[in-house]
Amino acid sequence: MFRFIVKRLFGIIPTLLIVSILVFLFVHMIPGDPARLVAGPDASYEDVELVRQDLGLDKPLVTQYFTYMSGLFQGDLGTSMKTKRPVFDEIADRFMPTFWLTIWSMVWAIIFGLLIGVISATKRNKWQDYTGMFTAVSGISLPSFWLGLMLIQLFSVQLGWFPTGGNDSWTSYILPSITLGAGVAAVIARFTRSSLMDILREDYIRTGRAKGLKENIVVWKHALKNAMIPVVTMTGLQFGFLLGGSIVVETVFSWPGLGRLLIDSVSYRDYPVIQAELLLFAFEFILINLIVDVLYGIMNPQIRY
Amino acid sequence: MLKRKYLIPLLTSLFAVILVLSACSGQSNQDSKQSEETTDAKDQPIAEKDGNSITIAVSSNLVSMDPHDTNDTLSGAVQSTMLEGLFGFDKDMNMIPVLAESYEASEDAKEFIFKLREGIKFHDGTPFNAEAVKVNIDRVSNPENRLKRYSMFENVETTEVVDEYTVKVTLKEPFGAMLNNFAHPAARMVSPKAIEEYGKDIAMHPVGTGAFKFVEWEHSDHLIVEKNTDYWQEGLPKVDRITIKPVPENGSRIAMLQTGEADFIYPVPTDQAELINGKDGIVVENRPSIVARYITMNTTKKPFDDVKVRQAINYAINNEAFLKVVYSGYGSDLDSIIPEGLQFYSKQTPYSYDPEKAKQLLAEAGYENGFETTIWGANNSDAIKAMEFIQQQLSLVGIKVNVVPMESGTLSDRIWSVQTAEDADVELYFGGWSSSTGDADWGIRPLLAGDSIPPKSYNVAYYQNEAADELIYAALQTADPEKRADAYAEVQKIIWEDAPWVFLGVEDTMAGMKNYLKGVYLLPDGAMNATQAEIVQ
Amino acid sequence: MENGTVITQSDELIQSKPEKVKTPLSEFWRKFKKQKMAMVAATFVLLLIIVALIGPFIAPYSATEPDYDNILSPPSLEHLAGTDAFGRDIFSRIIEGTSISLYVGLTSVFIGAVIGTVLGLLSGYYGGRLDSIIMRICDVLFAFPGILLAIGIIAILGPGLENVIIAVAVFGIPTFARIVRSSTLSIKESVYVESAISIGAPARRIIWKHIFPGTLSSIIVYFTMRIGTSILTAASLSFLGLGAQPPSPEWGAMLSSGRDFLNSAPHVTFFPGLAIFLTVLAFNLLGDGLRDALDPKMKD
Repeated sequence: MFRFIVKRLFGIIPTLLIVSILVFLFVHMIPGDPARLVAGPDASYEDVELVRQDLGLDKPLVTQYFTYMSGLFQGDLGTSMKTKRPVFDEIADRFMPTFWLTIWSMVWAIIFGLLIGVISATKRNKWQDYTGMFTAVSGISLPSFWLGLMLIQLFSVQLGWFPTGGNDSWTSYILPSITLGAGVAAVIARFTRSSLMDILREDYIRTGRAKGLKENIVVWKHALKNAMIPVVTMTGLQFGFLLGGSIVVETVFSWPGLGRLLIDSVSYRDYPVIQAELLLFAFEFILINLIVDVLYGIMNPQIRY
Repeated sequence: MLKRKYLIPLLTSLFAVILVLSACSGQSNQDSKQSEETTDAKDQPIAEKDGNSITIAVSSNLVSMDPHDTNDTLSGAVQSTMLEGLFGFDKDMNMIPVLAESYEASEDAKEFIFKLREGIKFHDGTPFNAEAVKVNIDRVSNPENRLKRYSMFENVETTEVVDEYTVKVTLKEPFGAMLNNFAHPAARMVSPKAIEEYGKDIAMHPVGTGAFKFVEWEHSDHLIVEKNTDYWQEGLPKVDRITIKPVPENGSRIAMLQTGEADFIYPVPTDQAELINGKDGIVVENRPSIVARYITMNTTKKPFDDVKVRQAINYAINNEAFLKVVYSGYGSDLDSIIPEGLQFYSKQTPYSYDPEKAKQLLAEAGYENGFETTIWGANNSDAIKAMEFIQQQLSLVGIKVNVVPMESGTLSDRIWSVQTAEDADVELYFGGWSSSTGDADWGIRPLLAGDSIPPKSYNVAYYQNEAADELIYAALQTADPEKRADAYAEVQKIIWEDAPWVFLGVEDTMAGMKNYLKGVYLLPDGAMNATQAEIVQ
Repeated sequence: MENGTVITQSDELIQSKPEKVKTPLSEFWRKFKKQKMAMVAATFVLLLIIVALIGPFIAPYSATEPDYDNILSPPSLEHLAGTDAFGRDIFSRIIEGTSISLYVGLTSVFIGAVIGTVLGLLSGYYGGRLDSIIMRICDVLFAFPGILLAIGIIAILGPGLENVIIAVAVFGIPTFARIVRSSTLSIKESVYVESAISIGAPARRIIWKHIFPGTLSSIIVYFTMRIGTSILTAASLSFLGLGAQPPSPEWGAMLSSGRDFLNSAPHVTFFPGLAIFLTVLAFNLLGDGLRDALDPKMKD
């Protein structure tokens, strides 16, 4: 196991190298001219050309690539084309708000998702199951902009309990994390239910029951652990998606996070910022999936790679 | 058994739906009740306010606080709380002297002498004088500095200090609209000491002469300015602090105003203006802007090379319905090639809504069976709404329009980065323009002059008319307002009849504020002015 | 065809029961029709398909013709679901939009599921270098945010509904791959797979007959959940100017266009939202029913 982790950790570097090349090519391939977009909607031709020189976009693509890579190797992510601030600062400013929002949302989602999933699986085809199912389907088919704006109307405008947006105090985390967590909770609930139902039919669970073990112990101690592999996989992925920042939720709740930075930098074709964000996302997913793979081994020691 | 099984989830779900819906229905109940009580927004009681600081919610992120390197209206508006120029614009976009007391322009529009106001200091204590003006103009007119507003001042040959409070600017070429450039946000003055100290980082540490001093800028979130106690204008500023906060979602911005988290918001989406006006102490203020809305027709392509077709399309569109559908009626007619708020505007005879005449003109041009074409535009909801409206209107005269909204980067690439007129795929383009200098020149030349076709400038109609071009350039050879007015009147007449555009309308600026707030307003170009902000309880 | 394989795998179990001899299909049907909710869902899906086919003929109004005297009017007997910002009848638009939304939702998920499942099975079964390569490719795909991927795909393939389906399918591939891989990893260690390997059964047979059926339950769950997401994603793409072009009555696009009227005219978002919700709910219930009916271990 230890060797596996070390090997994978070393594997991150070449993967990120490949990602950086792909990202660079991809970002430069999509249509859109940063010089023109950064120069603004009524900039003159001279202004656009000045901006182009300033951003180094007049140089050949290969030169631009080597400039970018040599910067990367020295730990320099470049400068935002739009704001002229270091990309590192732009991302650092927004990482923590997104990170904490993700943690909060995941905490809700895991608690409610597991609870609904387990209840649904054990009360199969009873009203508890149908209610759980209904809630879960609501969670994924309600668009988050709708849920978010409704929560704002109800809890901020009508009741005045929470602020409408921003991240100034702990109260401002509640509405966005519920909005963001609803979809994740739904996914976790559905996977827990189906996976747990599979396990509950397995022979050894029936044996456990036959031996007179309490139902709760059977479910929570024996069955759930074995049912967790697909759930953990999905939870890990959702965690990764949330860490990338949700464009919609961050927009609705004026949250200063990575999702809004992404949509801004895409609309300006701010290459250095997009590239750095994508590298960060790739790194996060590699790390999360590594952790998930390690968890597989813990949950089912038979799994080898 | 079976019944009970379904009853409880059904009830639970019903309850959930009711709970969520109560948010909006509760709102509308309250609305109808209040709107019975108060029909006019002015009659409602003054909302309560604690403290003497205000929050302004805006729609997008701030980009830069360096006036010479700023090209978005919003950043410019925020700068206006801290920085001032020699000239500025009043509420109606009339030019007014600010840091300059008076000016003299030479007959050929090449030499400008400015007399400066005395005794003003920048926030860092540096005196404002002729030397400071020279440092600023030299900075922005130097291409080495690669500032985004370079082209507005590239025409400057020299800036000389005549005495402590007199500056003389000499241009390379005559340019009649130069004074407007000095009134533009790009010509605002920054402390020379701060420029030296911060270099390029001046964009994060603005130091000016304005009513408010810079406090902090959390780039991902908000910007705060505080009262400048030494401000040169008597009695100002009246509030202690202003926080500017980007809130991109329309609904959230409105919610902030409703809860009092924001005291002033803009823009207010037109379709919600009526709903919130007059409730919770909210007043919505709409004023005519200088943002023209139009469709360009590629005049080099068939069938738009025929002036009859272009006029027919103008007759085929009901402008009144356009404003109603797209901007909920918050707008006015575009009855010249530039909006009424611009200098040297002259009214033309409108193309009235007349589908029969349109059909007849189409028939004369040989298109009695209509034709098929494509319209491009941005992918925001207003633009999509507008294009769908055009699609429907033109279908009534037999023209089939395909609506293609595009993501901003892609759109800009396909329209502005085209190298020659032959390569241009654009047929119809739904666009808008706001002449940020308030002058007719910047409202016409970049869009309709013959040498302004992409990629050089923004003439997407690929419109070429030598007579118009001559007048456009003649108007720049003099600083004499009367001569300029004559030239522009003629230009407007020629181009209006040539109809390279479908003239649609002029949007209103839409601001929402609490009724205790006075002195904050939007300018016709969409910029905000908060210098005179005041809380009146 | 998927059903067939699963049933074959359970032949022994079924035949050992002292009941009348049944074909796999009738056995499936017998189990399936016992599940009331799944039957309701199946009926609803069938109804959707019918509506998708005959939509334009039964819609009371035109889905695209505006009526500027009737803008944003609330639900009434005349307009069951009210009208939108152009005065178009929302009920008719939902009916006519059924085909396009179902088409985009189902095909894109199906493509993503097939490719993702194959990748996941290979990755999980063979492990080692192949696993590393496939999983790292997935990590890269995960890192690309949907909007960027969509702009890129459209840049390469050009706009159009089919390309939107491809774009949405690509978002789904890595998730399916990782889910299927995770199930494969644990099933691979089970006694019956190990015994099949030990007797030298060919890998293709083991994967197809022993492992794939075990992963099906996760696939169905994700597949059915993903349909709603796909409809919504396709809508956000049409706002980038990529998908179905206005005034096409696509559900997701209708929903998003009501965003600005959430307070003044909630019905503009509510009814398309309800349509998506019911569709996703139906597919989820149907998926559960299918899974149970296909599961050999499921007791009657």
